[in-house]
Amino acid sequence: MKILDRLSTHLQNKLVDLMRAKTEGRKIIGYTPGGYLPEELVLASGAIPICLVRGGDHSVLELAGAYICRWIDTFCRAQIGYGVSGDDPYYSIIDLLVIPITDNHIRAISDVLDYNTDLEIFPFGVPHMKEESTLQYYRYGITTLKEKLEEVTGVEITEAKLRDAIALCNHERELLREISLMRRAQQVPIRSKDFISVCHGSHLADKYFMVEILESLSKELKEQAFMPQKGPRILLTGSTLAVGDYRVLDLIEASGGVVVIEDFAEGISPYWLSVEPDGDLMQSLAECYFMKRIPPAWFRPGRERLDFLIKLAKDFKVDGVIWYQLMYRESYKTESYYFPKRLKEEVGVPMHTLESDYGPSETEPLRTRIETFIETIRR
Amino acid sequence: MSHYYDEMLHLCGFEDEEIRRESSRIERAFQKLGLEPEDMEKAQGWVKENHEVELLGVRRILRAWLLELFDLVLAREEGKKVVYYGFPSIEGPGMAIKTAAGDGLYCACPDAILCHTLGQIFNKLTPILEAGEQNGLPPGHGLCSLQQVRNGGMAKGIIPVPDLVTGSSYYCDMGSKADELMHEKYGHRAIYVDGSMDSKWGEFPKYPQERVDYFGNQLNKLFATVKEVVGVEVNREVWNNAMATGIDLARAVAQLQQLVNADPMPISSAEVELAMMLPAASTGRARSEGPEAINMLCQDVKQRVEKGSGVVEKGVPQVMTFLPSFSDPSIAHMMEDTGLAIKVIPASLSLSLDETTPQSTLGEEIADRQLKMGAYHSSFGVVKIVENAVRVLKLDGLIWSYLYNCRPLAMTSHFLKKWVEETTGIPTLALEMDIYDSRNYSAGTLRTKVEAFAEMLRARKAMAKA
Repeated sequence: MKILDRLSTHLQNKLVDLMRAKTEGRKIIGYTPGGYLPEELVLASGAIPICLVRGGDHSVLELAGAYICRWIDTFCRAQIGYGVSGDDPYYSIIDLLVIPITDNHIRAISDVLDYNTDLEIFPFGVPHMKEESTLQYYRYGITTLKEKLEEVTGVEITEAKLRDAIALCNHERELLREISLMRRAQQVPIRSKDFISVCHGSHLADKYFMVEILESLSKELKEQAFMPQKGPRILLTGSTLAVGDYRVLDLIEASGGVVVIEDFAEGISPYWLSVEPDGDLMQSLAECYFMKRIPPAWFRPGRERLDFLIKLAKDFKVDGVIWYQLMYRESYKTESYYFPKRLKEEVGVPMHTLESDYGPSETEPLRTRIETFIETIRR
Repeated sequence: MSHYYDEMLHLCGFEDEEIRRESSRIERAFQKLGLEPEDMEKAQGWVKENHEVELLGVRRILRAWLLELFDLVLAREEGKKVVYYGFPSIEGPGMAIKTAAGDGLYCACPDAILCHTLGQIFNKLTPILEAGEQNGLPPGHGLCSLQQVRNGGMAKGIIPVPDLVTGSSYYCDMGSKADELMHEKYGHRAIYVDGSMDSKWGEFPKYPQERVDYFGNQLNKLFATVKEVVGVEVNREVWNNAMATGIDLARAVAQLQQLVNADPMPISSAEVELAMMLPAASTGRARSEGPEAINMLCQDVKQRVEKGSGVVEKGVPQVMTFLPSFSDPSIAHMMEDTGLAIKVIPASLSLSLDETTPQSTLGEEIADRQLKMGAYHSSFGVVKIVENAVRVLKLDGLIWSYLYNCRPLAMTSHFLKKWVEETTGIPTLALEMDIYDSRNYSAGTLRTKVEAFAEMLRARKAMAKA
């Protein structure tokens, strides 16, 4: 797809664009994935948001090993590795690293990098339950973030600027939603890997450019002739799907499976909801980003997410679920024990759990397991 | 009439009359626990090897733990409602719930009780851990072994399925998710007392009032749920009564912590741990048996101090560990055998506890006090408290025995050592271990590291003298 080539070229030039913007006085705000940072606030402050969502590389974990033990989530250790390396282009260019603290793995990034590097870090808390008091606490967190962004950029985040940013981000989410939902059809118009590359691109690309790409992509997908689909339809879910961590996707495709829908806490920002553009905008952000969104597994209880997975499995008519989690992320590990029974009872499809520590030696065992699972579904 | 368990219980501070009177309960409890005559024989050897049972105080503390174990496993058939709380436990709520409910309620941290009894006394925790692993918390994933113990205890039908469990959501992700898993499996009510561990590095002892409001609100929610499920109200009056009845216990523990600072170290840190953890795990026997047992131990220790006798030689390096093993006393003995006087971090060394901020609800008051201690929101708070303890106790070294499968502690693996060494100049050994499950972190596997550290500390001490 030529549209995706355009996106790829834009992303390849991103660092140069960021350096240029920095020399022009614009601030660059890095943040960890998880979907709890309202990008609207960063955009309204005139700064450039970039999500630090690279992973899949085992060698960086060795670097992290000098700063933290191995019993922390793989992706989070990878961020520590990039952060302490001192030569990672994205960690080196940011003016502020915002870390919504969702669980202790993400907290480890905040504490280890704050202590061991010169990065300016701004953590804020994300509660693990949906109640009036937790909503207030999340709102308190993003309010302090707003103040911090105003301090760093010297720009007042006015209501008008915030409303414009909300409209822009809502449009991006609507387009992602529209494209994603096209995959409910019998014949899937876009490969999962391409859809994920678009989602990953949205973490870094200029927001106006991204919206333009998504509009073109949506139009093209509506007009194109669909290729007949052969393999079993798969729901791919898990803790983190980082930029560069495409091994499982490749193996599923190579085994003849077709991923028709994905759900990840980190790596794919939630696009199912839009921010209410009227009324108290900070409250609207808190409602959309915290209270109404489908939470990740580190919420307790995690039933809302599991209900959502059941719904996705039905809506997208999947034949099986692949649960891909990174090592030591206990929230996903515990849910992966009791969810398959429910999935079988309510949807009648099986689930297979895969784990990774980004190790090169994992590839062939993963291949065997995925091939076997896909073959089992086929029969 | 003698029983197969008489000798074992004598060793653990029981008297004949009590054994005779309680034999029916004891037998029912042992049957539920799967403890048979050969287990008693093995346990006697283990207890003699690992506990200073020549001291009456130690025997009486072992007795208190065993009585708590009996209460736990028999709670349901004795018609009690059952409430479990998680570890690390917040000081107070469990005790207040018990105070409000009285004898009709059993309230405790059951996994900590199983570790201290089936582990420390019977050396038979492995089947429970394995059952926990087979029922949703598998090995090899860095999952909390304390949760495996609780899960295994329920899976094997040893401990009752509770009416209500309160998760330690204010500290770790694992405890709450394990509670959720057990809720899915056994169907009991679970309530998660949430908090947010979101302090910025350097942000301690100060923290925003919003964090107190949030955590306090969660505690108020806990008390409301207790009222709904158990039918008792925890209010300020109940709270004050609970704190008043716990004062004897707190004084006894504090006195023991003071006494063990003597040189030579008068008693093993394994015994200090037994005493210190009783109030954290139990709300029943900790209050009824704890003060007397710990005061007896204090008397024993006082006599040793007066005689100048100890479990290590006078003048050996003084070292602090984070926590000794809950289930395997041989690890503490191994450390002491290398020639180190092991101290346990006393809660009283937490910073800024004297400052109080007026709060509007009971939950907020409790939350504020807990947040002041640092660990429930700030890694920086943890390193500052340890740094302070190292200075106040005038230590020669620190063994930072972090739990590999406890994320809030595992993340401190490297920076705590660096911080303490840079700020105090005191050598620190970051020792990865598991204080609940010693199958992979036994005394034998840890010995080489600790021996080398002890040797270095001795050399350092000798050089300083010379």
